[in-house]
Amino acid sequence: MAVQTFLFASLIIFSSSIESNHGATEVSLFTNLENSLEVTATRVGVVLEAGKDMVRITWMLKSSAKVDDDAAFKTVEVKLCYAPISQVDRPWRKTHNELSRDRSCPHKIVSKPYDNIPQSLNWTIDRETPTGTYFVRVYGIGVNGQEVAYGQSSDAEKTTNLFSVEGISGGHTSLDIASICFSVFSFGSLLVFLVKEKRKAKLQQRK
Amino acid sequence: MRNFQRYIYATKNYSENLKELKAKRLEKNKTHVLCQEERVFFSRLLGTIMAHHNEDEGSIGTSMHGVTAREQVFSFSVQGEDDGPSSHTVRFDDPTAKFALPVDSEHRATAFKPFSFAKPHMRAFHLGWISFFTCFISTFAAAPLVPIIRDNLDLTKSDIGNAGVASVSGAIFSRLAMGAVCDLLGARYGTAFLLMLSAPTVFSMSFVSDAGGYLSVRFMIGFCLATFVSCQYWTSVMFNGKIIGLVNGCAGGWGDMGGGVTQLLMPMVFHVIKLAGATPFTAWRIAFFIPGFLQVIMGILVLTLGQDLPDGNLSTLQKRGAVSKDKFTKVFWYAVLNYRTYVLFLLYGFSMGIEMTINNVISEYFFDRFQLELHTAGMIAASFGMANFFARPLGGYASDISARFFGMRGRLWTLWILQTSGGIFCVWLGRATSLPIAILSMMLFSVGVQAACGAIFGIVPFVSRRSLGLISGLTGAGGNFGSGLTQLIFFSSSKFHTADGLSLMGIMGMIFTLLVAFIHFPQWGSMFFGPTSDEKKSKEEHYYAAEWTEEEKRQGLHEGSLKFAENSRSERGRKAASDGSSPSTPPENGNPAHV
Repeated sequence: MAVQTFLFASLIIFSSSIESNHGATEVSLFTNLENSLEVTATRVGVVLEAGKDMVRITWMLKSSAKVDDDAAFKTVEVKLCYAPISQVDRPWRKTHNELSRDRSCPHKIVSKPYDNIPQSLNWTIDRETPTGTYFVRVYGIGVNGQEVAYGQSSDAEKTTNLFSVEGISGGHTSLDIASICFSVFSFGSLLVFLVKEKRKAKLQQRK
Repeated sequence: MRNFQRYIYATKNYSENLKELKAKRLEKNKTHVLCQEERVFFSRLLGTIMAHHNEDEGSIGTSMHGVTAREQVFSFSVQGEDDGPSSHTVRFDDPTAKFALPVDSEHRATAFKPFSFAKPHMRAFHLGWISFFTCFISTFAAAPLVPIIRDNLDLTKSDIGNAGVASVSGAIFSRLAMGAVCDLLGARYGTAFLLMLSAPTVFSMSFVSDAGGYLSVRFMIGFCLATFVSCQYWTSVMFNGKIIGLVNGCAGGWGDMGGGVTQLLMPMVFHVIKLAGATPFTAWRIAFFIPGFLQVIMGILVLTLGQDLPDGNLSTLQKRGAVSKDKFTKVFWYAVLNYRTYVLFLLYGFSMGIEMTINNVISEYFFDRFQLELHTAGMIAASFGMANFFARPLGGYASDISARFFGMRGRLWTLWILQTSGGIFCVWLGRATSLPIAILSMMLFSVGVQAACGAIFGIVPFVSRRSLGLISGLTGAGGNFGSGLTQLIFFSSSKFHTADGLSLMGIMGMIFTLLVAFIHFPQWGSMFFGPTSDEKKSKEEHYYAAEWTEEEKRQGLHEGSLKFAENSRSERGRKAASDGSSPSTPPENGNPAHV
């Protein structure tokens, strides 16, 4: 009982300290960002395999973009985002206007400094990327660490130029074999015990 | 006891005294023959195979032994004035002096020593509850790892919800069948079968590659929750009726803790395996080997260390008990006719059912809503299940205390208060937007709902005497049903956010808890009404004897029910003492079976 109370109290204290990290002064909204980047993502093939296939990502400032002091950025963050089809019936991937609560772009590809010249990257899809349909989004990070501009490889409705990734299964032959071995052992030991006890009972009866 | 023995040995007319003692015991036995037969009949009714007398084979499936709240309500022997301490314990010339615990004449232990592992009683207790605990770990092992599994298998919310429903549905049927299995094979093999036949299903998680596979494996693993029945069966055979409530309560509550421990264990194991170098999508599959190993190890321990009955194992025992079993059709009929069965079925569905649902969804909820690490979410989720350690016995104890003052009405109100407060805190949990408030509401919720589970089994033994086993089993199955239902409605579709689902589930629970008001006993009343004014119907004997036909009453088969009725007069509360109708012995013990 004392242990329970202690655990409970420590959980409360612990969680309060986690809580205090939401100290952002300004809430960054997606709709406030300027679409000033032109992003392309090209790939070879229709379905890409995680850990094997490559996507070529390029980004540069749009010629039409007016970069004023507010929207100036020195760093870019390239992220892999879920297309709407991969968000259906999956509330943990929901798009949210408030960027700190947005869950639709969880996979970070790279974070690089930016100096107004077109950049590109040949990115091998991360092994841990789950199966799904994606597009690429690049955020421009302003001086205060918050997003100020963005660009994405798809259109505003996120319907064009999407690519599918096939994640790894996670299964291995060695795992399967181990699983079969242990299952057989489980069945087998039960049978062995049954037979042994029946024999013992028969012997006792004969006596 | 020992002093008595020494006294006998020391006296000069040793053989004289011995003869006298034997004659006294014989006489006692004669006068008790009726009692013993009644009790044996009851045990038979509930399916024990007696070790002392010849007995006809009863029909298979009649017994719900072990599923019951308690085996016998009254202890076997009566204190003789001269005998002193020896009346409860073993005959001094009896070979059973070899037991480490004091036993009654059926060799069931009359004391409960949780820190002992003595054979066979305490060993059976520990093997039983740990097996049940292990199966709870396996059944809910997937829940804390869902954030990883859902990405690996590309699951939708419906897939996850349906798998959760499947994980608790299998046990509805396996629990009902388990009574028969234990009758046929004994508790040892019943437990071992469940453990070792479901271990391969746990291992087969490594093969799962899509939503369908995930659902089937979780469904198959869920069957092993029937270890509840085999565990309670085993303890009922090993422990005397006076303490069986406490023993079953501890076994049930500590077993239920497995649902909490798994939320802590699986993320930790997953983390360690990841550190060892595996990718997350492989690591979770390897993590499932741990519950599988635990099950195999426990199965082997049960088979090697366990013993079916105090005197030995089923297959090697030659003698069998006396008296024919009650007919299953009759037992079934009276259970089905009693409306309180259905009320309890639903009530348990919204206490144990909600508890099992939370075991399935709470870790993912904390992970998503508060953006915690997997093992942090698991730690918080674990404290929900682990509260079972004290919360369930607390509920049963509260029920017993309230019965002492207010009788059955006190029990019903206690149940209503506990379950409704559980519902209120569930609603609060759904509304909570900050982590500390969520944890606080979750802890209060856990105590409320788990204590309600304990309180329900404080009422179950009084609903019927003839069909006690079946009604207990049905109540237990109601828990699984409620869990499946709530997961299906609130957590399997994107209609509700999980947080809203929690709140709505709490409200639904509170609405169904109102059904407690409908439990009315003619002899004790209900929450709002007193006992009936009808002179005949307000007797406990009338209620319990009503389950027997005239023909059966003529044969004297209902004697056990009458005995129970007499002892149950304590459910009148303080009035029982003023009535003076019988010495108010409180119903045998604290906490009957906890599922």
